[in-house]
Amino acid sequence: MLKKYKPFLRAGAIDTMAFRFNILIWAGITVCEVACMIFLWLSVYRSSEGGVDTVIHGFSYREMISYVVLTTIFGFVTYNNDTLWNINTDIKKGTIGNYLIKPISYRGKFAATSLGNLLTMTLMFGLPFYTAALLTLTSLGFLPGLTFPAFFAHLGLFLLAGLCASLLNDTIAYIFGVLCFYTSSGWGLNSLKVTLVSFLSGTLLPLSFFPAGLREVVNWMPFAGMSQNPILILMMKYDLAESLRATALTAAWIIVLELFAKLLFSHAIRKVTVQGG
Amino acid sequence: MRYIHLYFTCIKRSMISRLEYKKDTIVALFSFFFSNLCSLAAVYFILQAIPTLAGYSLAEVGFFYGFSMMPIGLDHLFSDEFWLVAYRRVKDGDMDMHFLRPVPVLFQVFAETFQPEGFGELILGVALITVCALNLTVKVTFGAIVVLIIGAVFGAVIITSLKVSMAALAFIFKRSGPLLQIIYNFSAYAKYPLAIYPALIRTLLIFVLPFGLFISLPVDTLLYGTNNPWLLSLAIICAATVFFALAVWIWTLCERRYESTGS
Repeated sequence: MLKKYKPFLRAGAIDTMAFRFNILIWAGITVCEVACMIFLWLSVYRSSEGGVDTVIHGFSYREMISYVVLTTIFGFVTYNNDTLWNINTDIKKGTIGNYLIKPISYRGKFAATSLGNLLTMTLMFGLPFYTAALLTLTSLGFLPGLTFPAFFAHLGLFLLAGLCASLLNDTIAYIFGVLCFYTSSGWGLNSLKVTLVSFLSGTLLPLSFFPAGLREVVNWMPFAGMSQNPILILMMKYDLAESLRATALTAAWIIVLELFAKLLFSHAIRKVTVQGG
Repeated sequence: MRYIHLYFTCIKRSMISRLEYKKDTIVALFSFFFSNLCSLAAVYFILQAIPTLAGYSLAEVGFFYGFSMMPIGLDHLFSDEFWLVAYRRVKDGDMDMHFLRPVPVLFQVFAETFQPEGFGELILGVALITVCALNLTVKVTFGAIVVLIIGAVFGAVIITSLKVSMAALAFIFKRSGPLLQIIYNFSAYAKYPLAIYPALIRTLLIFVLPFGLFISLPVDTLLYGTNNPWLLSLAIICAATVFFALAVWIWTLCERRYESTGS
């Protein structure tokens, strides 16, 4: 049953490999960007009333730096996703017709491709980057919450949460992609999606910085599972029970949003106009 | 003259094709305001936790932020097509048509899109600058106003030049979008006073990726009179000229490497 999606999984993995040079440049410059971010946070902590060692919204400056480094690696490894643009192109160029007559699910094709991407990215970049970052941060004392051997349980949960985050990201990209059926173009939808995800997932800043009411709402939304929660699991800022709860919430959101995507697609497909061919 | 006429003809065509996608334009406008709101909220949430950022008050940081939208907004109006070149068009072999026409490819790419969303940035920036300025007590000098205008206009030229150079690399690597994205993202750091960065980064932001040169330094000149406005204006204009010349050179060198996908 799932066998027919294997070529897409493979293609996703190979496609990512083929552009590995690009990815390397990206990684190199990301380091500069993270450095700048670290200086911003250091300045924030230095400017606080209690001096640099203050804990602001549950984060010491050491933990904040670890958070920034780890969310950056996480985003880099997890979000290599072209689903929205591919759907947009399929609609604009009319190639969507080719897929509708094939005996595979349009949704399944993208899920398999994005899993392929994730696999390559995790093995080629995730493994060395996470290892290097964790070793450096722990030896500098920037991850005070880490205790062994409990860490290994958290590591396992983190990998699971990462898989969920990647699937959820693909689901959301797919929903926004299907919305292109209505708008016929993906520019606006893509920037809306990018903003929503980076603000509400805690990539821009941890959600604990949000005012209390907003924070409560955002914590129940699907986005926190896409960046903040996996990283807090890895940093052991969440205990096991909290980690399990957060991951289960993300998994539940995947199911809900997949169902929604299915309904949306079956409605949207009636709107297809193949343009010119 | 011919090129000016040609530019407007192309832009008119681009606007007409854009209006075909009315719903997307509305979504784009909404998402644009939303995205700026989110970034502003993030800064506001961070500053809520501390009294001042390296000595700069909330209104001052807001002013920096608002001013940074001027060059970014201006660039946004004219050079949005380079994102597509860097991310997809070269990779998809979609540039063939430009090479067949008797007009420089670089010009054609500029003429491909005019992005009215840039006006949104400019309006939002002016609004933020006004609100923050009302909460500040600054002695405004003529020189400071000039350097701010020069910073906005020639800053936009520098951002566009960086975009062109990075997009040109797509002709060699097939896809240079991520690279362009990251260089562009450095503009985010110029939204804050240079004082928060260590000397090395400050130097980088003035001399290598000069976002600090045309955003932070002019604003500092207005708020604290730290620099001679005329010398600073001259430096910004020189930098813009060098960056633009370099960008055109890199583009001309790289476009020869273009190969179609043959499909």
